[in-house]
Amino acid sequence: MDHIDHVLIVDDDRDIRELVSGYLKRNGLRVTPAADGRQMRSFLERDRVDLIVLDIMMPGDDGLVLCRELCAGRHATTPVLMLTARNDEMDRILGLEMGADDYLAKPFAARELLARIKAILRRARMLPPNLQISEAGQLLGFGNWRLDTVARHLLDQDGTAIALSGAEYRLLRVFLDHPQRVLSRDQLLNLTQGREAELFERSIDLLVSRLRQRLRDDAREPSHIKTVRNEGYVLAMPVEITRARS
Amino acid sequence: MRNRAMTGAIRRFSDFMHPPRTLRWRLFLILLTGLVLAHGLSFGALVLERTNAAKAMMLGTLEQDVATSVTLLDRLPPEERGRWLAVLERRTYRYELGRGLPGVPDLGSRGAEIARAVNGGAGPGFPVVVEAIPGDRPHLQAHVTLRDGSPVTIDVTPALMPLAAWLPLLLAAQLVMLVLCTWLAVRQAIRPLARFAKAAETLDPGGTSARLAEDGPSEVAHAATAFNAMRDRIAHYLEERVRILAAISHDLQTPITRMALRVEMAEDTPEKERLLRDLSQIERLVREGVAYARSAHGDVETPARIDVGSFVESLAFDYQDMGKPVTVHGLSGAVLTTRPHALRRILTNLIDNALKFAGEAAITVTRDSTGRIGVAVRDSGPGIPEHQLTAVLQPFYRLEQSRNRDSGGTGLGLAIAHQLALAIGGSLTLRNRQMGGLCAEVTLG
Repeated sequence: MDHIDHVLIVDDDRDIRELVSGYLKRNGLRVTPAADGRQMRSFLERDRVDLIVLDIMMPGDDGLVLCRELCAGRHATTPVLMLTARNDEMDRILGLEMGADDYLAKPFAARELLARIKAILRRARMLPPNLQISEAGQLLGFGNWRLDTVARHLLDQDGTAIALSGAEYRLLRVFLDHPQRVLSRDQLLNLTQGREAELFERSIDLLVSRLRQRLRDDAREPSHIKTVRNEGYVLAMPVEITRARS
Repeated sequence: MRNRAMTGAIRRFSDFMHPPRTLRWRLFLILLTGLVLAHGLSFGALVLERTNAAKAMMLGTLEQDVATSVTLLDRLPPEERGRWLAVLERRTYRYELGRGLPGVPDLGSRGAEIARAVNGGAGPGFPVVVEAIPGDRPHLQAHVTLRDGSPVTIDVTPALMPLAAWLPLLLAAQLVMLVLCTWLAVRQAIRPLARFAKAAETLDPGGTSARLAEDGPSEVAHAATAFNAMRDRIAHYLEERVRILAAISHDLQTPITRMALRVEMAEDTPEKERLLRDLSQIERLVREGVAYARSAHGDVETPARIDVGSFVESLAFDYQDMGKPVTVHGLSGAVLTTRPHALRRILTNLIDNALKFAGEAAITVTRDSTGRIGVAVRDSGPGIPEHQLTAVLQPFYRLEQSRNRDSGGTGLGLAIAHQLALAIGGSLTLRNRQMGGLCAEVTLG
């Protein structure tokens, strides 16, 4: 028999818990609702789940506290999706720094929640957590550069933040996950496609040249991302985790 | 022509009479005038008193001296008198044997006093005639006839003891000290005012700006305490506003989420689409309301050093990747310490605005002569009427004509951008471009 994914929903609002549970159940998931941190803990002592949906704003222990607790305990590998009433870059970063895997702002559409849950589960299943260096590291070092995977910007030697566009960031992560390996344009295109895949239409070449500009690479003699004639591109240096994800 | 010249003169006069603009100068002038006047008067009185005393003393001495000298000369044999003249000579008068010079009997008040003294000194036994000798060195001569009939002339050159050379120096030194002390006193009085003005200008109730030091003279300390209390009250109101807005929005968000979930799970009807649209509009308003309430507190984010060029470019590229025509021009390589999320939010709001009303946006980064960095978002849309350029920065302000109507905006985008710009120590200015369209510029230190 196929494994049925088990999702724990922690939210203080009964109606939202029930509506979400009902929707997810109808879409083939096993769902357990919990009203607060206490219920969540007592359930997790007995059983294990594949994913936890956690509301940030709750009376008692709020979602950030619970998330930190989860990441420190024996459920550290269980992915967490945060729900919050605030849609703000600062909150996103705070949530991700606390160890959440994804983040969804209230009010949300149920099908968006389902899509995110499935995406996280797929990612968690496909990739052993430590294979992808960009998943494991919060701060990745290569050459004289560091990439902050939470704030999503580059830091130069002086600590000045160099902002990246969404597409540039995704492409750079692909290179950092495959250091010193030649990647073809097709591979890059596939690997770079994120959730906003349909929006990504620009050619890889243009994106690489933008990324080289960000890395202050000389276009004729790039030192970071080198062109391999007829094959593709390669990140010409090793990558190390400067600071691990908490 | 003459009329105009006169008006000019009157104006110059009234300008001259007009009190100076600054309190510093006014206080300085008042204090200094009073002190110099008082000082001058007492100095004058002192000199007058000294003159009178010296004069009285001189006349008294003269009288006694003349009595002694005339009696002495009278007793001496005529051939010995010449030897004694040098002994009898004083600073202001000397004795001569002979008739002296011819003069006029008009003596003046001073001469009369001297004459009285000489007369009194010589005594009744010696007839005296006092005359003024005009000339470039006017002096008096008293002609006395001794008992043996020989004439003696007393030549008097009236002169007071000259003032000591150091006295004017002392006066100048005192005046300089007056000026300095007045200046110090005025500065002392004005400084707290300047401090208060600066504190009020940079007032940032929620922020980390230092409180006014509650020390110094008791009045100043009292005012500083009151100022700090006012600052605390404002901070309290601001906090309360944020807390209320956040509470309302959170409490609204839960029912909105419930409604959205219910509607989503209901059957597909034309009503469902409309409901979802309404819900998303309410949701946006709530979200923007919180964003606005929180925008007054730019300091929740830690400042970071950012490369402005790549910051603006990455923003524009994100728009371009979504198929929106946003271009970047100008300066690269500028580094700035700021709160990047706030700045991103400001620019996003401005760009969204430009896209909504003009369908395109151009971002320009400039640096002015004082090193401040300006990020301008320009469009070629309809612009905003001149007299409403500042009003649109207020929350929920709607333009008279339809720039904003039915556009789905919440009326908070520019207000949030404006507040955030202030919160991160910058400013936001809107102006219409000459060739049409709006230019919204964020200036950062």
